[in-house]
Amino acid sequence: MFHFQSFDDDCTLEEEEGLVEEEDEIDQFNDDTFGAGAIDNDWQEEHARLAGLDERVRDEVDGAGDASSVDLSLSGSNAHSSAPPQPSSSSRLYPSIDERGGGDLAESLTHLILGSDPAIAGVGAASSDRSLRPLMLSGQTPQPSALAGQSSLLLSYQQQHQVMHRGPAPLSQDKTLMSIIKEVGLPNRPPALSREEGRDFSERVPPPRSSSPVIGSPPVRAVPIGTPPKQPMSHVHTQQNNHPSAIQHVRASMPLRYPPPFPERLSPNNLLSIASSPLSHSPFPAGVGPVLSQIQRAQLLNSQVGPFQRGPAPPLLQGGVGGFRPFFGQSGPRVGLHGPPLGHAPIRHNTTHLHPQHRRMLNQRMQNRGLGDHVGGRGVGDRKNRDPYSNLMTQREKEWVARIQMMQLQSTDPYLDDYYYQNYYEKMEKRQERDRDNRKEHTTKLITPQVAKLEHTYRPVQFAGSLGKLTVSSVNNPRKMIDAVVTTRSDDEEKREKQVWNKRRQILYTVEKMYSLLLEVQDFEKKFLQTPEHQRDALLEQHKTHMVQLYNSLREKEWDDRVSDKQCLMIMSVRKGKRLISRLLPFLPQPHAAAVVMGIARNLPALAKKDKHDQVLCWLVEPVTTVIQSMSSTSLTDLLQELQGSEGQLPLVLQNKFGVTLLYLILSEGERMQSSDPNCQLMDDNRWTELVFSVTRELLKVPSSALSSPLFTPPNLVSLFSRYVDRQRLELLQEKLQITSLTR
Amino acid sequence: MLFYSFFKSLVGKDVVVELKNDLSICGTLHSVDQYLNIKMTDISVTDPEKYPHMLSVKNCFIRGSVVRYVQLPADEVDTQLLQDAARKEAMQQKQ
Repeated sequence: MFHFQSFDDDCTLEEEEGLVEEEDEIDQFNDDTFGAGAIDNDWQEEHARLAGLDERVRDEVDGAGDASSVDLSLSGSNAHSSAPPQPSSSSRLYPSIDERGGGDLAESLTHLILGSDPAIAGVGAASSDRSLRPLMLSGQTPQPSALAGQSSLLLSYQQQHQVMHRGPAPLSQDKTLMSIIKEVGLPNRPPALSREEGRDFSERVPPPRSSSPVIGSPPVRAVPIGTPPKQPMSHVHTQQNNHPSAIQHVRASMPLRYPPPFPERLSPNNLLSIASSPLSHSPFPAGVGPVLSQIQRAQLLNSQVGPFQRGPAPPLLQGGVGGFRPFFGQSGPRVGLHGPPLGHAPIRHNTTHLHPQHRRMLNQRMQNRGLGDHVGGRGVGDRKNRDPYSNLMTQREKEWVARIQMMQLQSTDPYLDDYYYQNYYEKMEKRQERDRDNRKEHTTKLITPQVAKLEHTYRPVQFAGSLGKLTVSSVNNPRKMIDAVVTTRSDDEEKREKQVWNKRRQILYTVEKMYSLLLEVQDFEKKFLQTPEHQRDALLEQHKTHMVQLYNSLREKEWDDRVSDKQCLMIMSVRKGKRLISRLLPFLPQPHAAAVVMGIARNLPALAKKDKHDQVLCWLVEPVTTVIQSMSSTSLTDLLQELQGSEGQLPLVLQNKFGVTLLYLILSEGERMQSSDPNCQLMDDNRWTELVFSVTRELLKVPSSALSSPLFTPPNLVSLFSRYVDRQRLELLQEKLQITSLTR
Repeated sequence: MLFYSFFKSLVGKDVVVELKNDLSICGTLHSVDQYLNIKMTDISVTDPEKYPHMLSVKNCFIRGSVVRYVQLPADEVDTQLLQDAARKEAMQQKQ
């Protein structure tokens, strides 16, 4: 017999779609089809029985008199009391709308919907009549009672189940208004009912998969990714690192689950009826019975969305601490610093874990806000209790879906894939350490749990002796629609394509190429620590090649060791280029770096002119400082000479902020050399002295307006000048340059 | 994974998300996933309450495909690092 599934404890239709596998396997766990829910009784028998009840009631009702409010009765009894009670309710099964005589559309609709099932019809009439009696007696208007009847109708459908399975429901006989409220509280029984029927959704086991793990769905894991660790964190931390086979998914705390709402096994419909029944007494458009108002819907949605507000939600970011080793390259055995070499399986890292620094910040933030949000939290808490959609999926199903998403977030090389995030937080930590200086917080590294990747190759299912292969598409191997082949373009083609006729574009292209080399160089250190011993030489060679290539791009001709001015100038004319040089300088070996700085000094006026728009030359200060401090005295003298260069260069230099800073740096370095090392060669020839003289002359000559202030003033300039100039001039200089003997 | 990584670093910060239907939502970025779906907490609609139905909403989940802009705090972004990440991604693509 066709049982009305949709009014059952939950939307079984959805349940069926979720449970039925690709091959339409019979749902063995569907109780309605095969279990206790499917009682194979003859509908005619049952109907007759219920109709009999109905008849009994109807007699009483008719006796009471005003039967107009019984128009509700879905057995289609006549609204008029004058109508004789009909012997069989079958004729009342399908009430004609015109019976109403132009009555409420809502009522007739309800009749159509609910009345078409004779089972409901029968029972509905029976108990609704009983419940309606007190209403009639209390003289309420038909409309609200209609709605009350409706809601009690839905409830009474539950009763029908009880009737069928447990005998007549123990309804209290005194049908006052109080009893209706009791009935409204009735839904507590269906949970007991469903438990009995084995329809406990929290323990529902998904049906056995039709396809084998190799072909189909995500591999069945002993410990699903979502489970929290059993041991305390410290244990897992040490055991974590090198277990290729074990699945490690570690979380610091129990993941925030949606708390079980108060009536866990209620169907949405039930709750809706509860929600609507209090409203039934208010003048509502009758047709809206099981439909929620806008406000209620918002509330429901809120309560669903509410739970995740504090703390990361499971499928998205997760706070966790596990073992992490940044690995490079796509595959190949990777070895942690302590541990046996792993097999061929590449290790996958979970990138959804937060950096400990990040988590600390988040916690701080939450604490700050926690006090303010206290009141708000309570309000949501109330709403949290009523979550009608909480048990549509079992916990395992939810985890399965979350697992699929998380699988995509696993990567073999988190350092590469998650480059921005990891570097950002590393930098932040370094910054904080620098700021806090002596605090003994050791740098926390981001560690992600590692999951051994199981290789799945899809082999289409074959049956012996059959033609062709079946394709079972699932999450792991979706249907292959296009045969996409990746063709990498060779370098020649690339060169041809990049027919750079535009000079600026050429510059940018060069800069970008250099950048990629630079990034490789930057990562060299990290890589070096990761690679095993035998591969280190190769890596070193590679590194050297990169460096040579980088330097080559700065030189014009291959054999000439000098830095090409033209090239340098070209690169530095672009903002990106200046950045590049400033980042490149620390990596260059000393002679090369010195050559670059010389080139910069030599061409400073031109550079300054080009930089007028960007004003970013000052990026170079820091790396240049480092270079200068490691220069020898001769090269320093050379540098100063270069800076002064041709006639009239110095005034131009002085006009530019960077120029002045550079000058000061050179002078200060010279001074430091002289004062610290009495044997220094700075004074060997007169060059240095002469140069300093000319500098001071120039400084005094230049009007103050043409002198730009440097980024910073080294403290030992005064002592420098005091060596070379007399007191009067010294004072003038001091005033002009605003340097005092006190350190700034 | 570049922008997923980028948004991960912004979790916990205040952002304004402008959707393709012109609704602007201001709130704290709670989480993000690989599709750049966004979950936000403590939200408020930035424009004058042209959208009264959002008055009671405190948290929301926004599908990544409907986002037009995400306005970020400038000091939380390291542009140099972002450039480097983009370069690395481009290099990876080429290989």
